[in-house]
Amino acid sequence: MQRPTSSLPMLALLAPAVLMVGLLFVYPLGMSLTYAFHNESTGGWDLGNFSKAFDLYGSDIALTAGVTVLSTALVGVLSIAIAGYLTLGENPRAVAILGWIYRWPLFIPFVVAAQLMRTFLAKNGMLNNTLMSLGLVDPLNAVSLLDWRGVVITFVWKQLPFAVLLIGGAMAAMDRSMIESARGLGAGRLRALLEIVLPQVQATVWVALILSFVTMLSALSVPMMVIAGSPTMLTVDMAWRVNSYGDYGVANALGFVSFAMSGVAAWFYLRQGLRDGRPPK
Amino acid sequence: MKQFKRALSLSITLALGSLSLSAQAQVTLNVISGGSQNMVDYVTDYLGPLFEKQNPGVKVSVVGTGPDDAGSQKMMEKLQAQKAAGLATWDTDVIVPNQQKTGEMVQGGLLLKYRDSIATGKYAVSQSAKQALGVNVDGYVMPMFESQTALAYNPDLIKNPPASYDELRSFVAKSPKSFGYNGIKGGMSGVAFVVGWMYAYGGNPDVVQQGPYDAKAQAGWKKAFADLKTFNQQVVFTPGNAGTLDMLNRGEIAMGPVWVDMFHTWQAEGRLAPNLKLKLLSPGMPGQPYYYAIPAKAKNVELAKKFIALATSPAVQAEGIVKRFNWYPGIDANVVKPALDAKTWNQLFVDVTPSDLAKFSKPFPLAPFFKDLREQYETQVQN
Repeated sequence: MQRPTSSLPMLALLAPAVLMVGLLFVYPLGMSLTYAFHNESTGGWDLGNFSKAFDLYGSDIALTAGVTVLSTALVGVLSIAIAGYLTLGENPRAVAILGWIYRWPLFIPFVVAAQLMRTFLAKNGMLNNTLMSLGLVDPLNAVSLLDWRGVVITFVWKQLPFAVLLIGGAMAAMDRSMIESARGLGAGRLRALLEIVLPQVQATVWVALILSFVTMLSALSVPMMVIAGSPTMLTVDMAWRVNSYGDYGVANALGFVSFAMSGVAAWFYLRQGLRDGRPPK
Repeated sequence: MKQFKRALSLSITLALGSLSLSAQAQVTLNVISGGSQNMVDYVTDYLGPLFEKQNPGVKVSVVGTGPDDAGSQKMMEKLQAQKAAGLATWDTDVIVPNQQKTGEMVQGGLLLKYRDSIATGKYAVSQSAKQALGVNVDGYVMPMFESQTALAYNPDLIKNPPASYDELRSFVAKSPKSFGYNGIKGGMSGVAFVVGWMYAYGGNPDVVQQGPYDAKAQAGWKKAFADLKTFNQQVVFTPGNAGTLDMLNRGEIAMGPVWVDMFHTWQAEGRLAPNLKLKLLSPGMPGQPYYYAIPAKAKNVELAKKFIALATSPAVQAEGIVKRFNWYPGIDANVVKPALDAKTWNQLFVDVTPSDLAKFSKPFPLAPFFKDLREQYETQVQN
């Protein structure tokens, strides 16, 4: 495939993209990571911002990790179930309805989803009111879900269609003959999903989950609007440090922690791409 | 070559000059407003059109940057950036910042001293027109309005509302989860509640409000925060200023701290049950003004002054600030009152009377105290 090419036009073609990424992403990222170690009061470089960040927001860091990991796991289980039914389901009407309906949350922005959940999940909100009128919940025992649980519900609701879209697409593109022969030999639908379909779309599942993880980690509007009180998520704390104190040092340190979390996900993502021998999707 | 360059630069200057001449026909007055959406609405729906009608050829363009310090921080950063870039004129003519950031902007040399050159300057009589959280802002600002926090309650659930922080504590001890507030990260009504708590129990309220700053004045804070932490175990946390009102409205809490203007506006719009009432707690809860200010190198200074003079005229303060938007006037109330009918005036003071305001309306703490207070809340109450 070696062709004699002059490298100049190629570089010229690449330059705008590289410049764009460099100026608008790599440069601010580098600045933010560096200035996490900058002590504003002494002008020196130390870990002061980090110790303050962990002091004040240690529980928020734990909550952020917990909420995103739990949401990602739930998105994984539910999206495989839905995509699996779309692929293996035998009632064409049910498949058509599910295929039509599951995409809806995809078109709703995070901030709108958060606003919906604020009234839906409140103590006297729509969810509890419905459960009460069905006699499933006693009015005195009704609890508000506007804390980390509300965030998990919102995240899963919002990210599920995205994951189903990717995973369902991969499942649909599979060679169906293997599924049919397994079914012909007597494998149930669940077994066919877990042992035949899932291993073949595993790479796509990881990609969908990693992208969901990173998206949820960076969402500000949802925790800001849904969580009442504390502990809350890191994005809220970052906004708070900047807005209330003009303190970019601790905000950068929190950003560093957040980068570290998404860095782990990015490492998996890249490794997935390398193992498949092609660039990641 | 040198001559050619000179000719070129001359022709460019001329071309630009003629461009700006043709633009003169339509001047745009750029306004940036902090605060909630209602403050942006105030300019888009009321003040802007009024000014455009009086000044043909002028267009008022307003951008909102959001509530609390966050919104005003954004406009400060915009002005700082233009100052640092050494621009001859800045692209913003009028700003509406909150107290904290106004003080910082005056200290940073970002604002113009204009008040004595406008006709309505003499109406700026309140303490907050001179001091913004301990910073001398005299001459740089005209108060747009004064706003106040108070306890909103549901009289169906609470016949005799608490009148002081002490009574509130004993009430909540007897019926836990009846009171809700939004912490300190979810908007200023929660912050105001905490500030009022510290005025009541932290000691030295006068020093904290008037200065001078001295960390020794915080000796009693540790105990007050520890009590607040205990108190917090029995309260409900609400998602934001609007969240408190929503939960009151759904009957999930029986009382909570709110902004008086927001309360009245929601009630007038039918978004809040009409039976809910207000009570200003003793020894006091904080209120704050928003200011009109002009950036130091604003492009249309004269027009900006004219705009602010209109906005702070008794007629506009009466019709716009009091009647339509339920705020307390920013200028001398004695010149606003004659411009309003008695009914509208009284409606503003139905639950919170002028004498309540005189006794129990406090400013927010001095900026350095305020920062310490919020940070200590985070370390001692939230952790």
